[in-house]
Amino acid sequence: MDKRVTLKIAKIIKETDTIKTFFFEHELGAKPGQFIMLTDFEGGEKPFSIADSNSQEFCITVKKVGEFTARLFTKKEGDYVSIRGPYGSSFFISAGNVLLVGGGYGTPPLYFLTKKLLENGAKVSVVNGAKTKDDLVFCDKFQKLELEYKNITQSGCLGRAGTSVDLACECLRRKKYDFIYAAGPEMMMKSLYPYLENYQFEFLFERYMKCAIGICGNCTIDPLGIRLCVEGPVLPKKIVDKLTEFGKYHRDATGKRVKF
Amino acid sequence: MPELKVDFLGKELNNPLVLPAGVMGMSYSGMEFSSKNGAGLITSKSLTLQARSGHKGPVVAEFEGGILNCMGLCNPGIINGLQEVDEFKKRSGNSVIVSVFATNSADFVILTRYVNKSHADFLELNLSCPNVFDEFGIPLAASGEEVYKIVKAVKKESKLPVIAKLSPNVYDIVAIAKAAKTAGADALCLINTVGPGMLIDTKMVKSVLFNKFGGLSGPCIKPIALKLIYQIYSAIDIPILGMGGVTTGEDAIQMLMAGANIVGVGTAVYKRGIEVFDKINIEIKEYMNQMGYANLQQIPKLKKIEN
Repeated sequence: MDKRVTLKIAKIIKETDTIKTFFFEHELGAKPGQFIMLTDFEGGEKPFSIADSNSQEFCITVKKVGEFTARLFTKKEGDYVSIRGPYGSSFFISAGNVLLVGGGYGTPPLYFLTKKLLENGAKVSVVNGAKTKDDLVFCDKFQKLELEYKNITQSGCLGRAGTSVDLACECLRRKKYDFIYAAGPEMMMKSLYPYLENYQFEFLFERYMKCAIGICGNCTIDPLGIRLCVEGPVLPKKIVDKLTEFGKYHRDATGKRVKF
Repeated sequence: MPELKVDFLGKELNNPLVLPAGVMGMSYSGMEFSSKNGAGLITSKSLTLQARSGHKGPVVAEFEGGILNCMGLCNPGIINGLQEVDEFKKRSGNSVIVSVFATNSADFVILTRYVNKSHADFLELNLSCPNVFDEFGIPLAASGEEVYKIVKAVKKESKLPVIAKLSPNVYDIVAIAKAAKTAGADALCLINTVGPGMLIDTKMVKSVLFNKFGGLSGPCIKPIALKLIYQIYSAIDIPILGMGGVTTGEDAIQMLMAGANIVGVGTAVYKRGIEVFDKINIEIKEYMNQMGYANLQQIPKLKKIEN
């Protein structure tokens, strides 16, 4: 019943100056899109999407954004942290032609999804964008898989300047897709959304989470009141179409609305 | 079909199940989602004058008997909180209890004035949060004198029926309940979480909750809740919103038999999903069918304890 387990960090990979991937030797039994809550018992417990998971190990990819993640970045291999989960909804594993749209450090859960899609025989296209190459992750990992992969930065440091939504639009013009997935900043998904009117899709959302077990109500989304920790974080088109707060506001730790 | 409708302080509720303070009541949509899943009465998050972020995590910890929590009264503040309540009232026919928290009667009175201007149906005074000890000390509900003072001051001001939420963590809850009633409380809500207690991570040798201690809820506290509700029901004539570990229809019926008029369901939202309200309502109906009761009033109460 208790889903908490305290684990040693098995391996740490530095992705960029501000992004690291932490590996744990533990059979989590997670599905793509799900998340864990992680704490070091020093103040704070945060949700992290699962970047990969199999019967031996799982990993999460973390961007240094605040006090909690800064402390996490000081941890070494062999240090303990405590996790609980996996929690939340997971991505539908489609067949056929699928397009995955990733943004910044939001991309890693799409890697876990990609592996499951490939196992299912899907033909996968991935577009990965970020502000600069310091926020662009998993390029090598995706390129090692049997798929069509493109990346881009807004700064243009890799050549062309643009967003993953620009690349996605090009893909949509070129090819017919059966299912679209997106994970990244909400405003990225918001700008992708108008192009997906005639597609089935799922987006991975992020909200301030506290209990992660569907009780505290901090991560409810207007106007449906569904909890991102239980009914989300992966939400399908039929739900996204109804969300009035999508790309407009979210709630902070006090429950107050904060504009994007 | 057995009838679940019930009158509570002059309002007709569709069923006796209540969403308690602290569960899902942060946003209008969370309240509405709970209503749609069968809650007959909704309580807002406990609102304070200023917004509060609450404690750092972990704020919940699970164990075999239920969960520990130390949310730390996070809430968007009375003004934002009441906007959520009013928006909910605009969209739903369901009644709402606004829960408020303060540490002295002057602040409770200010909060009451705000609530008077909202579309809320009832006012609940959270006198018993066990998770802000470091900040505010022993809960007000530990002292009959304090409870009397605050309820009296709020009653003078409130346009709405006033419900006092009591703590189980006291030596003589009947004395506290009597103080609330004497001061004019229209109903009592009990029990708040038990303890507080703690859990330890044995690899990192740390308290699991960052706040170290947190209130117990879930199945392990049900026997305590039943006993305290029954003691108060026996001693005083006052409507009771009973809660504490209710997970099934059977639990809810036990609450009614102990003396509760209506029944809160909180932690079970985790155990059985948000659909728990619909599920428990069905289970209550099944019991009533089996026993031949047509409405809730026909479910017998325990014989009161004789003094």
